[in-house]
Amino acid sequence: MLRPEEMTRAVVVGSIDSLGPTIGCLYELGILHLIDFTEQDEEFKLGQPLATASGSSQKLLKLRSMMRALNIEEHKPSAKIPVKNIEWKLEQALVNLDLNASTKAESKQRIQSLIREKEAEIRALEPIASFDIPLDLYEGYDGLSVFTGTCASDPSAALAARIRGYDLSIAARKADFAIALFVMAEGASEAPKILQEHGFQEAKLPKLQGMPLAIIKKHKADIADLEKDLDRIEKDLENIRHEFADFIVASEEHLSIEVMKAETPLRIATTANSFVIDGWIPTSRAGELQTALNSLCCGLAFVETLPPEKEDEPPVLLKNPKPVKPFEFFIDLVSTPKYDEIDPTLVLFLTFPLFFGFMIGDLGFGLGLAALGAFMRFKLKSFPDLQKLGTIVLAGGIMASIFGLFVFAEAFGVPFHPPEAHPEEHSWESVADIPIHPMLDKMTDIKEMLALSLLAGWVHLTLGFVLGFVNHIHHDRKHAFAKVAWLLILLGLFVEIMYIAGGATWTSGFVNDTVLVWAPHVGADVAGIKLSYAALALIIVGVVGLPLTEGPMALSEVVGLFTNLVSYTRLAALAVGKGAMALAFNTMLFPLIFESHNIGIAIAGVAALFVTQMFFVFFLGALSAGIQAIRLNYVEFFLKFFEGGGKEFSPLKYFRKHSVATK
Amino acid sequence: MKEVKKMDPTQVGLAMIGAGIAIGIAGLGTGVAQGQVGAAAVGATAENPKMFGKGMIMMVLPETIVILGFVVAFLIMNA
Repeated sequence: MLRPEEMTRAVVVGSIDSLGPTIGCLYELGILHLIDFTEQDEEFKLGQPLATASGSSQKLLKLRSMMRALNIEEHKPSAKIPVKNIEWKLEQALVNLDLNASTKAESKQRIQSLIREKEAEIRALEPIASFDIPLDLYEGYDGLSVFTGTCASDPSAALAARIRGYDLSIAARKADFAIALFVMAEGASEAPKILQEHGFQEAKLPKLQGMPLAIIKKHKADIADLEKDLDRIEKDLENIRHEFADFIVASEEHLSIEVMKAETPLRIATTANSFVIDGWIPTSRAGELQTALNSLCCGLAFVETLPPEKEDEPPVLLKNPKPVKPFEFFIDLVSTPKYDEIDPTLVLFLTFPLFFGFMIGDLGFGLGLAALGAFMRFKLKSFPDLQKLGTIVLAGGIMASIFGLFVFAEAFGVPFHPPEAHPEEHSWESVADIPIHPMLDKMTDIKEMLALSLLAGWVHLTLGFVLGFVNHIHHDRKHAFAKVAWLLILLGLFVEIMYIAGGATWTSGFVNDTVLVWAPHVGADVAGIKLSYAALALIIVGVVGLPLTEGPMALSEVVGLFTNLVSYTRLAALAVGKGAMALAFNTMLFPLIFESHNIGIAIAGVAALFVTQMFFVFFLGALSAGIQAIRLNYVEFFLKFFEGGGKEFSPLKYFRKHSVATK
Repeated sequence: MKEVKKMDPTQVGLAMIGAGIAIGIAGLGTGVAQGQVGAAAVGATAENPKMFGKGMIMMVLPETIVILGFVVAFLIMNA
């Protein structure tokens, strides 16, 4: 929590003969993050791929082209195949598939392209099909120009008026006119212009002989035959697919892993007789490496571990307890923290559901969201990202239900009890008398909610600066003290806001009497605004401290800090907005349901209520609340301390989905 | 609010219009700016999903404008 997994530098050395088994062992163990070797010299050279590399890659290439040909790239095998079976059968299966599948797939492609060709020729011949002119008479003249194609309107009148010495065949079709025009040399320049005026589109005729109609007929018969062939081949391919798809996909996976292993020496240093693998392993598992090497590689390789040095940048493996882990999803969306930086996942785990719950603040919608989250978490096993998101929605939904039940006392936008000022309003009282009364009413206690939001903002931002201070204190004291200056300014702003608010809200009164009780409650009236001396003093000390620590440019961001703080009022704004939206739909539609005394209208009202509640309040509300809750963390909170840019821990490792390793 | 009731209704009305203009135009400005940044951010995220967080940070920077508008409107309403 808060810190990533501690890393230890590990160097594995051994004789070059044991390189293959060592790499295999490292992949099995899956805890070594390899540092790519780049600085070659006289002694150390990049390694050569293992002997199996070229054979495996060739087979892999064949399998992948086969997968494309059989169209099984997305195929999901029903059962896992043991690696031993794959290795036994692979050679034979490849020969078999080469003979059957490859030739069939090729024939299929050839037939398909032939059909396309013939269809294109039919399309080209269709316009002139009704003219009784053999195809070879359309070309090969010295003194005649020939135009074939379609016109949008009938050009015969214009042709008769403007040129002499031509022969026009024309046939009206559904939307246009098919024409074949033969023009003597003197009209050859005028004819295209006339045709253009009538929306002429040329049709290129295929180089064939005979009457167009007869050719079309023959082509159609050919296509029917070809399609029969195609069906037969497709059936054969389907049989092959049925028999081999699982095997091919599993083999592809296995060979990919083999190739990955065989090419690993290209990333490590070797001499004529030995190899050196340099990398990082989690300190907590450092012991496992030597044990595994001893048992799997018969002690042919040795490990030396060293603590990280100052200039090293170890890879980052976030370390969080299981319930917090899904929230790493939000960190992945920004950047991996650096190794010596604080990992803010835990804070996200605490604040995101809290903000989200406050903004939704409704028992009905909260339970709905929790159910949606639970469905994503437990039912969508093949989508890890959606699963993580599901856990987050589940946590947010539970928090929203708690806020809805105890704080706002409402479900589906309908309060448990009508507000005192409007006893005629619809409420759950007509269904059941729930013994919980709201602590806050979304429609009337807006100032109270604003004050609460500002308090949450102050706590959140303060935590951000504290984390920033901790991040910097060990290597950059100046920046660490700048965070203290910012903390003072933030406190000053908060004192000022609470001073202005005074006892206007319960929250500000409470904060003034407890958290800020040390701040003398005296001030002056400047241009109509009450100014607290304590706040002024804090802000001045902070503002003086900033140029000394972060430089004078930092002063321009003081206003930014104020907007950061006020930015948290969106918590109240969204809660009120959502409450108002649900109330508006309920006010419009409840009279239809309860007072129309017409079952048809009542059912329509219920349907409209369901749709509007589901779409506007549930989905759009949840979406905007989610975005705002994460935005407050990303922008207001993260920018106070988070730099990111760490290297993600990616050990030598593989996952088998469709094959099973055998000893 | 009691003080407000004693004031000239025209003045109260003008103050409310002022508050409306303050937040309305500030919102418009934010919208224009966010529209442009948002379009670029969506493009960047489509190419590299890791840009989502950074894009979002860029996208919400103009929100400062509407927040200042909100503060001004709030001060007018409470004056």
